[in-house]
Amino acid sequence: MFSRAGIKPQKLIEIIGENGFIFIFILWVVVLSLTTDTFLKSQNIFTVLRQAAIVSIVAIGEMLVMLLGGMDVSLAALLGFSGIVAVSLMVKFDLSPLLAGLASVLVGGLIGFLNGVLVTKVKINSVIATLGMMYVLNGMALAYTQGKTIVGPQLDQIGFLSRGYLGPVPVPVLLMFIFYVVFYFVLNKTVFGAYIYAIGSNEKASWLAGIKVDGMKILAFSVAGLLAGAGGLLQASRQGSATSSMGNEFLFPILTAVILGGISLSGGKGKIQNTLIAAVFLMTITNGMVLLGISLYVQSIVSGVILIIALSLDRLRYRQR
Amino acid sequence: MTAILSLEHISRSFPGVKALDDVSFEVEQGTIHALVGANGAGKSTLMKILSGALTPDAGRMVFAQAAYSPSSPNAAIRAGVLTIYQELNLLPTRTVIANINVGKEPNAFGFLDEKAEKERAAQVLARLDATGIPLEAPVGELKVSEKQIVEIAKALIGECKLLIMDEPTAALNDSEITALFKIIKDLKSQGVSILYVSHRLKEIFRLADVVTVLRDGKLVLTIPVSEVTSETLISTMTGRKIEGAFPEKNKSLGEEILRVEQLYSSKGFEGIEFSVRRGEVVAITGLAGSGKIELGKALIGDWPVHSGRVLLKGAPFKPSPSKAKAVHFGYMPEDRKKEGVLEELPVQRNISLPSLADLARLLGFILSNKERELAQREVDELDIKTPSLRQLVRNLSGGNQQKVSLAKWLATGSEILLLIEPTQGIDVGVKFEIYKLIQKLSAQGNAIILVSSEISEILGLAHRIVVLFNGQLQAVLDGDQTDEEEILRFTFGQTKEKEL
Repeated sequence: MFSRAGIKPQKLIEIIGENGFIFIFILWVVVLSLTTDTFLKSQNIFTVLRQAAIVSIVAIGEMLVMLLGGMDVSLAALLGFSGIVAVSLMVKFDLSPLLAGLASVLVGGLIGFLNGVLVTKVKINSVIATLGMMYVLNGMALAYTQGKTIVGPQLDQIGFLSRGYLGPVPVPVLLMFIFYVVFYFVLNKTVFGAYIYAIGSNEKASWLAGIKVDGMKILAFSVAGLLAGAGGLLQASRQGSATSSMGNEFLFPILTAVILGGISLSGGKGKIQNTLIAAVFLMTITNGMVLLGISLYVQSIVSGVILIIALSLDRLRYRQR
Repeated sequence: MTAILSLEHISRSFPGVKALDDVSFEVEQGTIHALVGANGAGKSTLMKILSGALTPDAGRMVFAQAAYSPSSPNAAIRAGVLTIYQELNLLPTRTVIANINVGKEPNAFGFLDEKAEKERAAQVLARLDATGIPLEAPVGELKVSEKQIVEIAKALIGECKLLIMDEPTAALNDSEITALFKIIKDLKSQGVSILYVSHRLKEIFRLADVVTVLRDGKLVLTIPVSEVTSETLISTMTGRKIEGAFPEKNKSLGEEILRVEQLYSSKGFEGIEFSVRRGEVVAITGLAGSGKIELGKALIGDWPVHSGRVLLKGAPFKPSPSKAKAVHFGYMPEDRKKEGVLEELPVQRNISLPSLADLARLLGFILSNKERELAQREVDELDIKTPSLRQLVRNLSGGNQQKVSLAKWLATGSEILLLIEPTQGIDVGVKFEIYKLIQKLSAQGNAIILVSSEISEILGLAHRIVVLFNGQLQAVLDGDQTDEEEILRFTFGQTKEKEL
């Protein structure tokens, strides 16, 4: 009954569904290696990883929320908002970079907490609640900056976060790996991670098993907020300024990375390492198309097609039940 | 008189049970024919066969002088057999008119003829003497009794020769029941035959012409109501033999551990009082809709309670699953697949889930050796049949899933266990394993609350039996001093012999 010989077709579909994008990724890497001279240069690889850093760090938070069966669409806006908080505290209030950075991360966590409360206690659907939050945050960013760029010499102090190196490794790339290692253990080895997967797989049964489901959800949204706050700080460092629209470019990459990485939209299933690979893949698509000299407009089409393929694989996998 | 429906040697089996065994009877044209029986007697199966939701394994049916073997609910409706289930099938946000006409909307080239729809709805409600129901109102805003009339009206829109009603009075008050009975009698005088399925004996004597009694899937009796007493009906419904031997009940009871005082929920029950001692098995029983499931769920916090209180070891306890876990109060829900186990997770994690916090060290890192040991211990203890601890629970059999659902609480060192219908849908072998387990747990000093509708299992296991009827506490019986007949009498809401 449970023979190991031979892989059932369903199992095969499951493997492809969970990892199919990795095959496409490898294919893409091979194509780029053969057609360009520059792609495999270590400098270019670090460029790709550096570009992936912010998206992939914030994607961890999105992944936590989506493992619970929810979705947070406010994280990009929150990233922008936190970035503005960090920059204006430094530039306008002359706060030390450490305190300003801490404040921006905490603001992120606080707003994430608020998202969690809206979803669990007020019982608003997570997409709707965070969509509302996204508008509020974007509006506050616009109202505060009046559409102007905030910039000042104080920002040089946080420049190392995006441009620094530790040995040959860029600091953002190092940070990205640290975050992923930490959250790999959190998800796979701790009670918190076990609860996340349990709730995502069957919320009612988990609740009846005595897990404080609402508390766990609020915690997940809060952690997502904290990570978005950290992302905002990194983006402020990268830009060397803050603008009301600084988070906009992240909205879709964050969601795409998580979904492409195989986190089921209904929650409970998916691996964190795949989210990282997916985030890197996304950056490789853009990077490769630049190297190949493909126009910006076509790039958007390709990104869209990839998201649709990822979602199709997700459906293919769960249709089997 | 001629028969509108005749059943000839109908049988139907499910894995492990023979739900209907060689059942034959006739429903005469223009009569009200009642169908009664205890839980599990085969009423629902018979109803599903008549309404086309199930096919019989053997036997044939004749309806309106033609062979009748509906392949789907739709085929049954087209033949003129309409079934109104206890759970009404209405669209709450659509109007009364839309609900009555649904599926049969008068139209021209796909465009709705709203005027005709309205006329038809008004006509059929007039036929039911229910012109007071607002035609344009969304059905969700109506009273239950009005919804039921809408459901009947919906049935009458088609060519209805036989109307099957399943416990139609379950949610109605006395005056609404009287009104419904008038409608049913009017329909009868208009030539519609009615098969009336009910637990409530009083109603059968008020309403029905003929009654058929089922017991354990077999037909015991078909008799004109005028020739029978409710005493006879009850004794024909019971008389079931206890299958297999129950283990001896635990004799050494400890102190009281849980007490329920004047528990009231506006959605299910009121005035509930009972207590449970260590080592004791207390059963809660009643008919479907009696409030027993709701009461069970309320004790764990999965059903609203509006007043009254629960005392646990003498201290007030506000039910919630996480608080229950903290005081070693475990819960095995009725719906195993949706609530009892996490099907997509392995056996090991299912068993360890409520204990995880105790299996972790600093920063919440789970000690995986301890987790494995804990799960292995319970798998051995309960003899859970699984190829490995990593096996996903969805690949286990129903009985083994049920054991997993219980094992997770035993792993926490529970002292009180609340089990709702623990043997429902489980084959006989595993059933007795679970009975032995319940006995063993009580002998170890666990207090057990067993919510069940199986009288034989209640009698075989429980020290005391709490009987509910219509959400009311009917009796608390001594498990060794009572018998099946007495329990059934209380479950049917008949308190004194004289009232029978």
